[in-house]
Amino acid sequence: MKAGAFLKSLWTTDPQRVARQYLWGGFLFLLVGGLLAMLIRFQWAWPGQPVPGLAWALPESKGALTPPAYTAVFTMHGLLMIFFAVTPLLFGALGHFVLPLAIGAKQMAFPRLSPFGFWAYAVGGALMLVSFVVRLGPASAGWTSYPPLATPAFTPGLGQTLVTVAVLCVGVSAFLYGLNFVVTVVRCRAPGMTWGRMPLVVWGLFYGAVLNVLFVPVLAAATGLLLLDRVAGTQFFIAGAAAVGGGGDPVVYQHLFWLFGHPEVYILILPAWGMVGDFVAFFSRKPAHGYRLTAGAMGAVTALSGAVYAHHLFTSGMAPVLGRTFMVLTLLISLPAEVMFLNWLMTLWRGSVRLTSPMLAALATMVVFGLGGITGLALGAVATDVPLHGTMWVVGHFHLTMGAASFLAVFAGLYFWFPRMYGRALDERLAKVHVLLSAVLFIAVFGGQLVAGYAGQLRRLYDPYQYTFLAHLLTLNRWTSWAAFALGTVQLVFVVNLVRTLGWGRAAEPNPWRVGTLEWTDAGPGAVVLRGPHALSQPEVQEQLGRDWIGQAEPLSSSKPVVEQVAPPVPGVEGAV
Amino acid sequence: MAESPALSPASANDVAPPDAQAPLAVPPARGAWSLSPPENASATGDRIDALLARSHGFDLALAAVMLGWLLLAVVRFRGARKVAPDGGTRRSRAWVLGLALGVFGVVDGTLFLGSEGYLRDVLWNFRVPTEDPRTVRIEINAHQWSWEARYAGADGAFGTKDDVVTWNDLRVPAGVPVWVQLVSTDVVHGFSLPAFRVKLDAIPGRVNQTWFQAAREGAWEAACYQHCGTSHYRMRGVLTALSPEAYAAWLHEASLKAVQGYDADDTAAHWGWVWRTP
Repeated sequence: MKAGAFLKSLWTTDPQRVARQYLWGGFLFLLVGGLLAMLIRFQWAWPGQPVPGLAWALPESKGALTPPAYTAVFTMHGLLMIFFAVTPLLFGALGHFVLPLAIGAKQMAFPRLSPFGFWAYAVGGALMLVSFVVRLGPASAGWTSYPPLATPAFTPGLGQTLVTVAVLCVGVSAFLYGLNFVVTVVRCRAPGMTWGRMPLVVWGLFYGAVLNVLFVPVLAAATGLLLLDRVAGTQFFIAGAAAVGGGGDPVVYQHLFWLFGHPEVYILILPAWGMVGDFVAFFSRKPAHGYRLTAGAMGAVTALSGAVYAHHLFTSGMAPVLGRTFMVLTLLISLPAEVMFLNWLMTLWRGSVRLTSPMLAALATMVVFGLGGITGLALGAVATDVPLHGTMWVVGHFHLTMGAASFLAVFAGLYFWFPRMYGRALDERLAKVHVLLSAVLFIAVFGGQLVAGYAGQLRRLYDPYQYTFLAHLLTLNRWTSWAAFALGTVQLVFVVNLVRTLGWGRAAEPNPWRVGTLEWTDAGPGAVVLRGPHALSQPEVQEQLGRDWIGQAEPLSSSKPVVEQVAPPVPGVEGAV
Repeated sequence: MAESPALSPASANDVAPPDAQAPLAVPPARGAWSLSPPENASATGDRIDALLARSHGFDLALAAVMLGWLLLAVVRFRGARKVAPDGGTRRSRAWVLGLALGVFGVVDGTLFLGSEGYLRDVLWNFRVPTEDPRTVRIEINAHQWSWEARYAGADGAFGTKDDVVTWNDLRVPAGVPVWVQLVSTDVVHGFSLPAFRVKLDAIPGRVNQTWFQAAREGAWEAACYQHCGTSHYRMRGVLTALSPEAYAAWLHEASLKAVQGYDADDTAAHWGWVWRTP
């Protein structure tokens, strides 16, 4: 390809090509973020010891992490993973790929917003990478960037400023694809694709996109004001002795940040839930149990997601009335999650389960998300949150829910749609090995963190063993680190699979999973959608077509139409249309 | 301002000051592999511990049901011949809703009621320290990276010549409510006493408060749980619970020393605020 043509191809309004750009971008940052995670784990296993092979980066300490290097490492790990790896992989890559196809849209509602969003993301990503090597050091105020620590008085490095701008960039990107997805789902569905016939993954992406539109601007507000505090001498978030004359308040930032930060958890997990719901149905060869209940429950979580955020601030000295309110709301959000989870289990029950690689990954997502959700209950009630707050228990909990679960969901989606994305089939055996080992090791690593946290280990400590009451946790942390290194190594299985498939893989069948959703059974322009996404094992279909699935837009030449099983509408649950 | 613990007014006392950098003699390590919280030294901590243990009992039960159901379904129905072609019956969906409501009621209900009881009786009940005449009041000012504590001294008022100031060295009488008010001079810190189940943010520009009561004499660690910069991990303090007599003797002695060492020109050392009774 000539240079000009190559440059031209970088600006593409084809959502599927934008999806592939996001995929590679996401993988790059997943790699960087993952390597940083390995450094954190090394530090907790061998505090202050030289990291093999890192002497080039930290020559003064011969490769050992110093306290400033360590703070930069965990700050950048969090920022990269959340903003530049998992969210772009779920929405940017899988979302752009599947959303228009699955609802039979010919294009995104705003085709040119897609490349614009990608390039905003790419610029942000470049700033993130540059921030490692700038004057006065990289960002090191934690991924939450609480002021006043994140202001120049305490974190003078240019890196912190660059990272703040990078988060604004990625916010622009997230807002744009959020807006694009919402309008596409509302306006561009194929004829007959009613709300009740959308695949659950479309529901998940739609709800997640709604949250992006609502709450990413809140992040932009917090980050924008913080940026002004950094570069323009304002004092929005500086108070007390640190402020020269200002009347700022650091807690306002915390409220703004978590008003975005908690919905972000659902932004990450809603598409994952949708995929689990769909894949469990597809690979149990059976309609999703309680489709409307599940979609409604996802809607209820979406509606509640902004109303639970302040449980992150239970120890900030909030008024008891606020503390109690947010405790009730936080506990309440577990109810729709339980409904959804039980529906998945009911779909499996008496199905005809096929353990394909996407199914294994979906089941693994279920398990790690379930464990993560359960371990979050104690964080929702004020009294039990206090001893666990700020400990590794929290770290283990949110890594299971938004780290492991969304990671495994990304791979469930990738293994599922890869044949449609690249026209080649990934090796099933390698994929299954990758998924199974990853899931087991995720549980080992984050389970180890949960145990350490319950024993009192605080997060973000360069050397936890400075505290006598944590000294005995060294052995546990070392084993957890070994599990983490194994987890990192296992990802090579995926890399091998990817390289082999893209280089020498066999061509994929047109509909390898034998499912009826539109991305696999595209009936061409003008097709009318006739039924829901999980029309599996219908007797009429089996009788007439000799297979257990039928395309959503595929007519069945029979006087007897395929009866869609309609559940009664659930009163009071948003989204059950 | 003298920031070294060695120069603190407490150093000249009979009770040897704990060296904030040295390891503490803590009881033998409790299960690194089991779900056991740090040793409880608080008079009310067992209530939280019991609630947490119950919550984790539920966690284990839920995890077992989830995993068991999932594995059983996968093993038993793998490649099964006949499946229902529908998304469940009215009855099966009612079961899902009922089960979810049941689990929610029991698990979340227990957490809510237990938590609410603790909040009402302990965490947010400041009547206990207010009404108990023996209550000890401490003002803590968090710095990058140390805990500066202020005691009212013999006159019982903060911000006077006889205020006792210590660094990373908290002393309290055992068996008596200890009422802490907390600020920060620079960034957000997190004041925590893991053995007392105490955790509260120290935020510039506002005074936060909490209280606790030591169940017995001994020494435990204070830690910072909020990332506050490069030396966050060394923001360690020691809390010593003394007998009420030893505490009174220490405070008396330290208060005399404080008056002797008072430097009117050291404005940075003159902080402290008046306590308003809520």
